[in-house]
Amino acid sequence: MSDEEHHFESKADAGASKTFPQQAGTIRKNGYIVIKGRPCKVVEVSTSKTGKHGHAKCHFVGIDIFTAKKLEDIVPSSHNCDVPHVARTDYQLIDISEDGFVSLLTENGNTKDDLRLPTDENLLTQIKDGFAEGKDLVVTVMTAMGEEQICALKDIGPK
Amino acid sequence: MEGFPGGATDLSQLQSTMEAVEHACSSIQMHVNPGEAEKIILSLRLSPLPYQSCRFILETSQIPNARFQAAGAIGDAAIREWGILTDENKRSLISFCLCYVMEHSGAADAYVQAKVSAVAALLIKRGWLDFAETEKMAIFSEVKQAILGIHGMNAQYTGINFLESLVSEFSPSTSTAMGLPREFHEQCLLSLELNYLKEFYCWAQASALSVTDKIIGCGATVSEDKVCSAALRLMFQILNWNFRQSTNTLGHSINKISASSYGIRHDAVLLKKYERSLVQPGPIWNDVLLSSGHTVWLLNLYATLRQKYSSDVIWIDSPLAVSARQLIVQLCSLTGTIFPADNGEMQIKHLIQILSAVLQWIEPPNVISVAIQSGRNESEMIDGCHALLSLATLTSTVLFDNLLRSIRPFGTIHLLSTLTCEVVKAHTVIRDEEETWASEALDILLEIWSVILGRTDTDKDSVSTEGISAASNLFNVIVESHLKAAAESAFDDDGDADYFHASISKRDERLGSYALIARVAADVTVPFLIKLFSERFALINQRNNTSDPTQTLEELYWLLLITGHVLTDSGEGETMLVPEALQVGFSDILEEAQHPVVVLSWSIIHFARHSLDPEMRRTYFSPRLMEAIIWFLARWVDTYLMPLDATKGQISTPGHEHGHPHGYKLSKKVLLSFAGEHNQGVLVLDTIVRISMMTLNSYPGENELLAVTCQKLFVALVRRRNICVHLVGLDSWLDLARAFANERTLFAITARLQRSLAQTLVCAASGLKDSEASNQYVRDLMGPMTAYLVNISNRNDLKAVAQQADVIYMVCCLLERLRGAAKATQTRTQKAIFEMGSAVMAPLLTLLEIYKNQSAVVYLILKFMVDFVDGQIIFLNAQETSILVSFCLRLLEIYSSQNIGKISLSLSSSLRSEAQAEKYKDLRALLQLLTNICSKDLVDFSSSSDELDSPDIAEVIYVGLHIVTPLISLDLLKYPKLSRDYFALVSHMLEVYPEKVARLNKEAFAHIIGTLDFGIHHQDTDVVEKCLRAVNALASYHYNERNAGKEGLGAQNTDSHGSNGKLQDSILSHFLKLLLQLLLFEDFRMDLAGSAADALLPLLLCEHDLYQRLVQELLEREANPAMKTRLASAFHSLTSSNQLSSSLDRPNRHRFRKNLHGFLTEVSGFMRIK
Repeated sequence: MSDEEHHFESKADAGASKTFPQQAGTIRKNGYIVIKGRPCKVVEVSTSKTGKHGHAKCHFVGIDIFTAKKLEDIVPSSHNCDVPHVARTDYQLIDISEDGFVSLLTENGNTKDDLRLPTDENLLTQIKDGFAEGKDLVVTVMTAMGEEQICALKDIGPK
Repeated sequence: MEGFPGGATDLSQLQSTMEAVEHACSSIQMHVNPGEAEKIILSLRLSPLPYQSCRFILETSQIPNARFQAAGAIGDAAIREWGILTDENKRSLISFCLCYVMEHSGAADAYVQAKVSAVAALLIKRGWLDFAETEKMAIFSEVKQAILGIHGMNAQYTGINFLESLVSEFSPSTSTAMGLPREFHEQCLLSLELNYLKEFYCWAQASALSVTDKIIGCGATVSEDKVCSAALRLMFQILNWNFRQSTNTLGHSINKISASSYGIRHDAVLLKKYERSLVQPGPIWNDVLLSSGHTVWLLNLYATLRQKYSSDVIWIDSPLAVSARQLIVQLCSLTGTIFPADNGEMQIKHLIQILSAVLQWIEPPNVISVAIQSGRNESEMIDGCHALLSLATLTSTVLFDNLLRSIRPFGTIHLLSTLTCEVVKAHTVIRDEEETWASEALDILLEIWSVILGRTDTDKDSVSTEGISAASNLFNVIVESHLKAAAESAFDDDGDADYFHASISKRDERLGSYALIARVAADVTVPFLIKLFSERFALINQRNNTSDPTQTLEELYWLLLITGHVLTDSGEGETMLVPEALQVGFSDILEEAQHPVVVLSWSIIHFARHSLDPEMRRTYFSPRLMEAIIWFLARWVDTYLMPLDATKGQISTPGHEHGHPHGYKLSKKVLLSFAGEHNQGVLVLDTIVRISMMTLNSYPGENELLAVTCQKLFVALVRRRNICVHLVGLDSWLDLARAFANERTLFAITARLQRSLAQTLVCAASGLKDSEASNQYVRDLMGPMTAYLVNISNRNDLKAVAQQADVIYMVCCLLERLRGAAKATQTRTQKAIFEMGSAVMAPLLTLLEIYKNQSAVVYLILKFMVDFVDGQIIFLNAQETSILVSFCLRLLEIYSSQNIGKISLSLSSSLRSEAQAEKYKDLRALLQLLTNICSKDLVDFSSSSDELDSPDIAEVIYVGLHIVTPLISLDLLKYPKLSRDYFALVSHMLEVYPEKVARLNKEAFAHIIGTLDFGIHHQDTDVVEKCLRAVNALASYHYNERNAGKEGLGAQNTDSHGSNGKLQDSILSHFLKLLLQLLLFEDFRMDLAGSAADALLPLLLCEHDLYQRLVQELLEREANPAMKTRLASAFHSLTSSNQLSSSLDRPNRHRFRKNLHGFLTEVSGFMRIK
């Protein structure tokens, strides 16, 4: 079997598309899915059939990962759905500018200045307060389908 | 009233209390400020000596609710203050209650009277062992007068009701909690049974007799009906009593043996399902229940009334009718030593008597069924079924059948069959609703069939020819009705609801009972099934593509289900055998080709093979039909494919074949060998493997079907080694393995199912000839998976690539596959699987870093390690263990570095709770991992003997705990499974390695203490017990160390934080206070007293001064001098009786347990507010 080995080697490369097709039947709760052009986290999956001897269909309820809106979709379970590439990157927080933008330190030493503060009240206060207290903060930025948003915060404490 | 407790109180005060309570009661009813109102009522219940106020309210208040509350308050207060009431007080309270109900017997708002009489019963029970016999006699003679009707009908009714509450107060399951030890309740129960119960029954009977004349004649009023039905209800309740005496009567077992040969049985368990039990009151009840003609009287009474009210449709459901029927059904279950040792004659006579009366309720079945469907009440018919169930339970199958023959020209089984036919027909017609009368009746009737046919000692001879033909008739009706229903429902939409576990297991239970009925007449019913199948196969074969086959498919679906149940048994985890009834059912068939079971099996498998043809598959093999086929094949494989019996040569126990003709043996052999290894077995196996592979490839997204294939059929294929031997030699199997290892197609299956697939593929290695070949097989199978993981983790652009959805999906699938392989670890494949695990260790750490934000991947990595450690750890030598253990440590460290101090944002509450659930799953996996590593110290099969550099597992676990504890928040501990896992680990560690505790760092230590503090207040008894064990371990360790002159917990003990975060006293004194508080003032469960004692003793010894101080404080706080003395003496005897010493050895602990138990019994009555 040696010449067949690694037959299913990933063909993934760094510049791939924003989504990836996956069979609806294999998408599970807590996974990601594109519904109506929006990247969503799946919070509910149920199946049904048209007539007892028909084929299965999946009914997805998803929550938009950026806007938290609830979206629904029904797909035959053998068909493919689009699954978004959702990435999370950690950056150290350098500065918060007065116009609501943050300045972040990337891994290779550059700065990234095109992100706004999050809209979520809770996280926003934590970032602002933590920064004001002079804590070392790392923020997690979630990226999917060309959108970005700060989604988590971690205090890496005094070094 | 003389001696009424509470002293004199002035009228205005009573008046104001009453007004407050009345106001509270009415505001609760109107929902005005209910919290405030409840407080007022509670304060009445909790106030000391509230009796005068309560009495005043009962006697004067116009508001029934207030009177109800006042009555309840008397009961509560008297139980609480029992210790300080004088004998005079107690007596006068009881007589007050009794007089009150008698005087108000005709009054409206019966629930108030019922409550007062329940309170009287409660108080009588509380004082039962203290009162002199004469006092009780005095009370009961009053009651007797009332019941016999001397004071009129209302008093009669009240008296009966009082006895009802008394009997229910004395029965263990319905008694009120009094904070007294079990022995007290037990003693009351025995004394009542011995001295009063039978008398009560006679009084009830007498009072019923006193009114029946009027009821049967004319001019009966409502109150006579009421008295009569109350009396019958009381009799029923008394017969429900769990009689103790009879069980230890001599000769019980002898009686059982001799009686069984006459057909009387004692299978009490069989009635449990319907919450009924056998009635075994013992010989002293013979005169009341049997020789006096009581049963006949009751049966006649019911029959006469039934006749009288035949035109009144609702009478059947009236209280009198219901209680009379209940009593009749209860008398049906009468058995045991109450019947004389006369070869069961008297009992059989008794049963026939009842049967002949019950017949009217169920016969003729078709008329009854039609009447019920057109609106008649079904309760009588259901009661009739219950009576039949009792009869079936108490008699052997032969006797059961014969009972009816003295009255009718046919046997009971024939009647049962016609009755079941009608119910099945009605049931399949009204299938839309769930809880219908037909489904209730069907459940009971099928239970009867299971009772008479499912006994181990039932064989073919115990059912008469008439019974067999009745059964085959019934099976025909069952199949026809269900096929009709199936065809009609074929076009219904199919939702998730069909797959709910409960409804499936209910369906399977029914099908299982149907199958029992079919097997009795197997020589008729199996050919019948063959005929039905071939008709439908023919339909499908002839069909041109124009007509819709759906109805036929649904019929086939149902036929496959029922056939699966008829041909095979469902036994989870047991070795399946060919059902005995099928082995003996075809004694005249010696040719394999003619054996109906063989023909049926081949015809279904032949049909299933058509699914391999793409054209046929597309047109006919719907996912649902395929599901049934795969399910059938899984069960069939378990039972008929290369059965173990056939390979052993000798078929059955020699004793069993005695007296059977030669044909029997031959036909049995046919069944065991037609799909055997030397016959068609291998060929069929190949077909089945090809069908299942086709299923995996051709039904994408049909998860239910794929789940049945992976989790049922494949599991069945690799269950037995003798099948695996052939399996690994098949090309089709090797194709499957190759596809799994090297091709992408199988990645289209849900990841979880890929895990089961990996597990079965690895399991099949048991069929290879030696361990070398098995290991090589696993390496070939799993090599590509590990290679992929190694490969991807080494990529330079890993960071960019890894986050892509397809890569994540791939990694998840591979991790699931590794998990499956790890779960399938066996001795012979352990080596290859360890290699597999070691190869991915480094990649897994890389992936854990990379995927720290992909909770699904993190979880899978943890779960893989849980299963890997679980499978491997007992085999590993010191070196391998140290590799594994240090890897686990690295894993824990990385995991904790990623999860500590992180504040996660969630945009919506549902996402937040998802994140919480994910964290919870991770933590459980971590705890399981630690517990699995722990088991190395308990079970160790490794061969190496040098223990020199074997890593210290306790050390590792403690480091693990350091890492895990900060992640465990008190909120998370509210999840029951997690908290049980966590506390199991903590208490285990503290008990086994207490010396390591002192070395934990401050935060970790404080955290563990904090969680223990939380756990002690937990609802779950298990958790509390584990915490108490942990506290015990902690304190005992400290005490022993200090006695040996060491520092024990040392610094950890003296300076730490309590649960509220305040810097306060030492941990041990904190726990001492906590435990005392718990024992004295809170609702402490007596079953935990032992563990509490074990924890308390070392605490007392460690913190003796504090204990003295606490006791002193408690005593000073107690205002009542009488209670003060009692409390003081209780505390004194807690620490000084039974020669308690200051050691922690076992006898001393035992003594302390006894002391604490005594202490709790003594103080709970007045210390605990309940």
